[in-house]
Amino acid sequence: MTDINLTAVLFEQNDLRMEDCPIPTPGPGQVLLEMKEVGICGSDVHYWTHGRIGDFVLKAPMVLGHEASAIVSKLGEGVTTLKVGDRVAIEPGVPCRKCNYCKTGRYNLCLEMKFCATPPYDGNLARFYVHDADFCFKLPDHVSFEEGALLEPLSVAVHATNRAGVKLGNTVLVCGAGPIGLLNILTAKAKGAAFVCATDLDASRLEMAKKLGADFTVQVTSRDPLVTVQAIEEALGDKADIAIECSGAAPSLKTAIYATKSGGVVVLVGLGQEMVEMPVVNAGVREVDIRGIFRYVNCYPTALAMIASGKVNVKPLVTHRFKLEESIKAFEAAKRGEGIKIMISCDRKKE
Amino acid sequence: MTDNNLTLVLHGKMDLRLEEKPVLEPGNGEVQLSMRQVGICGSDVNIWVHGEHGGYIVDSPLALGHEGSAVIRKLGPGVTTLKVGDRVAVEPATPCRMCAFCKGGRYNLCPHVKGLAMPGCDGHLTRTFVMAADFCHKVPDNVSDGEAAMAEPMAVSVQATNRGGVKMGDTILICGAGPIGLLCMLTSKARGVHAVCITDIDERRLAFARELGADHTINVRGKSPQDVAAEVEELLGDKPNVTLECSGAQPSITTAVYATRSGGVVVLVGMGATTNEIPTAEASFRELDIRGTFRYVNCFQPALKLMSSGLVNVKPLMTHEFRLEDALQAFETARKGEGIKILINCHKETQGR
Repeated sequence: MTDINLTAVLFEQNDLRMEDCPIPTPGPGQVLLEMKEVGICGSDVHYWTHGRIGDFVLKAPMVLGHEASAIVSKLGEGVTTLKVGDRVAIEPGVPCRKCNYCKTGRYNLCLEMKFCATPPYDGNLARFYVHDADFCFKLPDHVSFEEGALLEPLSVAVHATNRAGVKLGNTVLVCGAGPIGLLNILTAKAKGAAFVCATDLDASRLEMAKKLGADFTVQVTSRDPLVTVQAIEEALGDKADIAIECSGAAPSLKTAIYATKSGGVVVLVGLGQEMVEMPVVNAGVREVDIRGIFRYVNCYPTALAMIASGKVNVKPLVTHRFKLEESIKAFEAAKRGEGIKIMISCDRKKE
Repeated sequence: MTDNNLTLVLHGKMDLRLEEKPVLEPGNGEVQLSMRQVGICGSDVNIWVHGEHGGYIVDSPLALGHEGSAVIRKLGPGVTTLKVGDRVAVEPATPCRMCAFCKGGRYNLCPHVKGLAMPGCDGHLTRTFVMAADFCHKVPDNVSDGEAAMAEPMAVSVQATNRGGVKMGDTILICGAGPIGLLCMLTSKARGVHAVCITDIDERRLAFARELGADHTINVRGKSPQDVAAEVEELLGDKPNVTLECSGAQPSITTAVYATRSGGVVVLVGMGATTNEIPTAEASFRELDIRGTFRYVNCFQPALKLMSSGLVNVKPLMTHEFRLEDALQAFETARKGEGIKILINCHKETQGR
């Protein structure tokens, strides 16, 4: 098999194969991209192992991957904002631009959103990929391709902290110290949060949380949320102004609500079961607002500025590296829960 | 001359002509419109009389008209949100949809926005016109063609009251009782404000404002800004927390700052001179926010709903109607300052409303 445009294609649940696909052509307003680094997300793994996430069901072969950076290889008609050779981070969702969600600045909620690696739209774990030029963000020379790929999950943290209203002096609880939780810790600190407390089941994840700036960590040892809440309040000296729940686990959602101050905000980032029990009366009478988040909107420029200025260092999150040819091995490692962020290099091997 | 696509075209200062223009075909995402009612705006009169507006000079023929309603005549490729025969209000500006302003929900600030009836972009005082489908808003059945044409200036008032944060229980000052000032008053009332005081130098306009529901009016001719501010406070029982300055006149802008409650907002809606004086110490010490407002963003649908629900009745403002064939006479009438809103019926078959 040739591998000019080697691509990671998910044919159906548990059937991920490397195929050589034709190189696509950029249409008006689009660019052809030579892919460089693509990170693996839990959602990519989930489509592979389950064939669906909620109502998004895999019905036809789909390319995986959506956390990516690349080099501009060819310009489509009318593109003036990028040049061939530009190094870019790819914001993987292109909305319709015309509906009320798009026009009111909430394009992440667009019902016609075309998002990489969400069925039926192909992702970008390949050597070549075409995307709308205005969703490609030029990287300064000192920002690496790996950092460019990390802009995607970092944008999730920017959006979550925006929706939470994290500001100077806040006390923030981050539940779950996986990649998303860790990026929320970094972002909350960058926004001027005074104290951040992280929770997780796993002590080694909490060590990383501490390294990345968490002032306190609480290891969850009981299924009773109130036990965890007590430990959090002891560490912080009070309930938190804001909780960012990144695990999706039911006991953790309860913890987040109980551990947030009256008048505070709980943001639900982690996705678990469709139906979760929550102490709504407790939240209600204490005016604790519960807000969901979906991906991100207008966050890439901010995420890029954070990295370019050095305010946030995401490099420690990359723990494993594979070549595109080894994608299946990379996915196996992700499935086993190894490391934090697994990066796949899409360059063609030089002979 | 045939008049299959009769169009009102401005050729230069004081040079307005009715002429035949080619009928254009709708491209991707566009619709072809059979124009119905088109209102005349002060900016149309201004660009006719001066040959320029807001720094833009008319150096090639420009079709006027940007406050319009229409019926869909033909769909371009890819249009699924509208059908032939749909009645629409036309939002007269297309932004780029790609820049940070557009994506951030403020497409009115897009640097590449094309505004109808501004040099470089023809308006729709014509019989047949082509427009982006998503900037054509469906008109509820109980809203007439003329009212739908009023959606554009109503959108200005929705935007201005949004920018002012006008809400239930507020006390409002509106400077200037022209069409925009009156619509700002109607929209403020629809938002549940406690009371509105409106100022002008023209007694007839103030009388009309009272008919439309102004709680208080002040004729400011010959009065100093501080005196007017004191009179406003006396009439309303308090300083207003939001002032919508709709005249663009310097003394009125000064008045707005003196009259507004500490911590309140002054919205500069009216456009007069490019530079004005503002009492900055007054504004600063009393934490007055002074905000501009530019056209509208996501305001057409709220405007149409306000009219459809009866919360706002714009019919009294629609004082004159002319046929497109008599557009020159319509513009003369507007220039003389007669009436409030003059509508031009661009549809060949219909006469009158």
